[in-house]
Amino acid sequence: MGFLTALGFEPQKIAFSSDTSEQQGREHAKGRGTVDCCYPVKCISGHYGELVNREKHRQIDILFAPMIRSLPSHLGTHVVASLACPRVMAAPENIKAGFIKERDAFAERGIRYVTPYVSLGDPPIVPKQLFEGLKDAIPGLTPIETREAVRAGFAALAAFDGRARARSREILEHCAATESPCLLVLARPYHMDPGVGHEIEVDLQSYGYPILWAQYLPIDDDLLAWTFGPDVHDGFIRSPLDIADVWPSSYSANTNEILWGAKFAARMPWIACVIRMSSYECGMDQPTYTPVQQIVERSGTLFFSFQDLDSTKPAGSVKIRVETIAHYLEKHAGGIIAKKKAASPPGCPLIHDSASAVPQQPKSKAAPQAA
Amino acid sequence: MKTVGLDVGSTTVKAVVVENGEVLWRDYRRHHTRQAEMALEFLGRMEADCGLAPGRDRIFVTGSGGGVLAPMIGAKFVQEVVAVAAAVEKLHPDVRFVSEIGGEDMKTVFFTPTQGGGRQIYASSMRSGAGGTLVGKTTRKLLEISRTKFVPDAEGEPIPPPAPKPDGSSKQVFMQSACSGGTGTFIEKTARKLGIPLEDLAGMRYGGHALHRISSKCGIFAETDANTLVKSGVPVEEIIASLYEAVVYQNLATLTKGNTPAPKVLLLGGPNLFFAGLQEAWRHHLRKVWTERGIALPGSGEPEEHIVVPDDALYYAGLGCVEVGAKDSLGVGVYAGRERLRAWVEEGQHAQKAKEGSRGLAGDAAELESFLRRYARPSGATGKGASASPAVASETIFLGCDFGSTTVKAVVLAGAGELVYSCYALSRGNPIEDAKAVLRDIRAAGYTRIGSLGITGYGKDLLKDIVGADVGVVETVAHATAALHYFPDADVICDVGGCDVKIMLLRQGTVSDFRLNSQCSSGNGAFLQGVAERYAIPLEEYAERAFKARAIPTLAMGCGVFLQSDIVNQQRKGWAAEEIMASLAAVLPLNVWVYAGQLQNLAAAGRKFVLQGGTHRNLAVVKAQVDFIGSKVPNAEIVVHPQPGEAGAIGAALCALDWSRRAEKPSRFRGFDAVEALVHRSTTNEHTTCNWCAVNCRRTFIDVQLSGAKGRSWSKVPVEEGWERVISGNSCPKGLLEDANEMRIVKAQLEEAKRVHPNVAELVREDAFRRARSA
Repeated sequence: MGFLTALGFEPQKIAFSSDTSEQQGREHAKGRGTVDCCYPVKCISGHYGELVNREKHRQIDILFAPMIRSLPSHLGTHVVASLACPRVMAAPENIKAGFIKERDAFAERGIRYVTPYVSLGDPPIVPKQLFEGLKDAIPGLTPIETREAVRAGFAALAAFDGRARARSREILEHCAATESPCLLVLARPYHMDPGVGHEIEVDLQSYGYPILWAQYLPIDDDLLAWTFGPDVHDGFIRSPLDIADVWPSSYSANTNEILWGAKFAARMPWIACVIRMSSYECGMDQPTYTPVQQIVERSGTLFFSFQDLDSTKPAGSVKIRVETIAHYLEKHAGGIIAKKKAASPPGCPLIHDSASAVPQQPKSKAAPQAA
Repeated sequence: MKTVGLDVGSTTVKAVVVENGEVLWRDYRRHHTRQAEMALEFLGRMEADCGLAPGRDRIFVTGSGGGVLAPMIGAKFVQEVVAVAAAVEKLHPDVRFVSEIGGEDMKTVFFTPTQGGGRQIYASSMRSGAGGTLVGKTTRKLLEISRTKFVPDAEGEPIPPPAPKPDGSSKQVFMQSACSGGTGTFIEKTARKLGIPLEDLAGMRYGGHALHRISSKCGIFAETDANTLVKSGVPVEEIIASLYEAVVYQNLATLTKGNTPAPKVLLLGGPNLFFAGLQEAWRHHLRKVWTERGIALPGSGEPEEHIVVPDDALYYAGLGCVEVGAKDSLGVGVYAGRERLRAWVEEGQHAQKAKEGSRGLAGDAAELESFLRRYARPSGATGKGASASPAVASETIFLGCDFGSTTVKAVVLAGAGELVYSCYALSRGNPIEDAKAVLRDIRAAGYTRIGSLGITGYGKDLLKDIVGADVGVVETVAHATAALHYFPDADVICDVGGCDVKIMLLRQGTVSDFRLNSQCSSGNGAFLQGVAERYAIPLEEYAERAFKARAIPTLAMGCGVFLQSDIVNQQRKGWAAEEIMASLAAVLPLNVWVYAGQLQNLAAAGRKFVLQGGTHRNLAVVKAQVDFIGSKVPNAEIVVHPQPGEAGAIGAALCALDWSRRAEKPSRFRGFDAVEALVHRSTTNEHTTCNWCAVNCRRTFIDVQLSGAKGRSWSKVPVEEGWERVISGNSCPKGLLEDANEMRIVKAQLEEAKRVHPNVAELVREDAFRRARSA
């Protein structure tokens, strides 16, 4: 949004496909499937179909689906690389094939299909990539305009990240003040889509537990110093955002963030339980199962994983698992918080004197690359 | 000269004998995994009935079992898709799309007119989890042989190139194997589970029924979905219609690979021929696709007229063999008689498989004897307990019921927690009827003074208020409670039920972790049961039969769908029912612990293992578990719960007992008479669909007659006073309410709960997308 509005597209001219749903796939992706792979990629056919099949007066002109090679990550310089999953990166080309195989469904409706290749984890080269990718679709586009728009885009992303992280901190502070537990979801960003993650965490939320996501944990200096300071001091890691102690092959942005989130959860007393989600056939997640689980469990934190998620929500088993998780949380959360607190260093910045109950507004540290 | 087309499929053998273009003889029979034997029997009858003569007549075979048999009878093997395509080309030159659904595979074939006036063939086949799924799933290879393009079948069957068409048009045959659901066996298996005789199944319709969501991804998930629907009281007709929907959707979604099935369409194979409802589902969806894509119908007439199910739909592969054979030189495929096949059936298959097999499950006689001495239970021990003695009958007892996926169990505990009675019944698919059945049994046994009632299992939410249970216990907790009651020093509980596998890791007597796998059937009892059913062997005889196997094939651990095809492979090699059954039991622990439970290091989990769940009634499974655990944890102590099948019910009863000790109030149990008198009816239609969000769950309203119930006169599906409504089939708490006012209150509560306990994902979505959407 930040990037496109800076290019002069009015917000109301920018449309997103709706949340993923099986219905969307049935309605818009029938016969469009090209690859048999994980659902988060496969479901894109439905999103394209939905956008392509809009009624005449809402017809879109450009279908913008960048091929994202690398991602901005708060772990940025502390890891080897921040690459996107290659399947996700290649998805725009794979999915497109199902729409042009027999007849060009884009051309028939006068839609321009634009799929620039972008390395969002490497901001300096993004303007050039986007200029090359968009100049035909946007007549008169200049490199300078593009560079400014990219700058605006990263700024919008940083602000967005900052808001989410601030909210997470507020939640943690609330938990610390009330001695109540919260849950952390370790998953890929697309699991936030109700059709991909099936809102499993929402079921737990309804039992009265706030839900944090590893992508948006607070990364304020004071908190990081408290959480990881002892490890840095003891030389296990070089910085609070270093994950080399548990995950030396830190190439994938999302994987890195999951591993870091596991470490954070292990050290955060009020995260009494970690919920792991992973989609069927995810080769990126496969090698992380055991390390993530071990990191979390060693701290005494409850760990439950929902693996092999696919298009259909396995409602029956999710229900049993959620009830069981709720049972154990109710029974053990208090003990877990107490045990983890006892193992934590003193001076937690999340705990305020009762006098200053107003949550402190953390300064945003997100996406330093955008600067 | 006669030509035989013999199709040795995964469930049936089909054959045609053709002379001068006339079909002289044809038949199909189920082979019950004895492919070679049935093929031999067919050949015998063909010789007797129409004078099939070795050295003169010709024979061409196809099908999953054809490759092994072909050389023994002088036949030439023709790949299945090639055979079907050849028959279609000959008999229906105007067909553009073929769906052939077999017992364990499904294929789609696209014929596209080429510029030269010929047709291109684009075929895609899925074998139910072919061993090749592992290699073939993401790769689509293309191999060009002169002007004919082929890909070898994932299972390595050679695909001979068909002769180039004289008109010079090119042909393409693509093949793809992937995970599969929706095959014939799957439809029949689900129908059997629902208690529908095959004759009735054939006539059941698709149209006019409410459809429910059944996973179209994988047969096993779909079966679980069907099971869930049964539990929520959805009528079987609707489930079958939904199954047909899923099958057609599976074909269209994944087997079309971006092609549009254009008219004219041919539906082949047993399921397409026999199940009128499946044909209807095809017609419905194809018509929709044609309308949506603006596909013009050739000529006039209704779209339905362009969807053809020929009477001989079963025989197309066989007919295609004959067709392919006719183009071969005369010396190819000359029938060599039955002798070598007979020798193979009697001797050869055993010799070959002995080379490949591993030691039998039972071990030697001494090993089996010592195992049985330790683990075998006196006969009847798993059955009903004794009726109450007069002394016990007057005591207050505590009742626990487990409404599981396949059975309902109930136990009676006396005041000190000791088990005095247990019973179980096969679930009839309706939880209210199941509840009546077990309560009737308990009452008949003389236990009538109920101190408290605890229920667990899939039916617990539905039944809790209706029967007046005091506690509803989630299954995992029930099982852990039951195990710890008998074995307070247990480290690991392994519960293998009909539809799920639960592993509970205990530390200091409390559950520290658990693994639940109900998404994958590889380790569960339903799968064993399904295989036993396919062999028509009662489950009670499973162990006895399995222990007879002296050598067993090695099955690969993993997804149940892969396992299914692995079994087909092993059958093809000639492994018999008991050997397959033994090997299935042998692979179960791997699936339970490693695949489903993801426990690589069993020794780290502990040393005292409690086996429970109905599947551990099966001694073949217990033997495999003991061998497996013993090999991983040398000093392991492995015990089977004294009531493996009833552990859940015992746990529920123990929780009920605990409740009554603390509650100091009378049980909510409605009483035997009240439950017995329950009258209920269920409704699922457009008025029961949940409209609170875009998911639109297809709910079922189960109305139960209860005195004092207020009824719902305001409802779109009104119920009079004296009826209580239970809503099932909803996927979130919102769906439990049909009334808008009630909804507002609940929604406000939910929103308040969400506000107090925020979900960062929701905030992120709001911030990232809604802003633009609402702009």
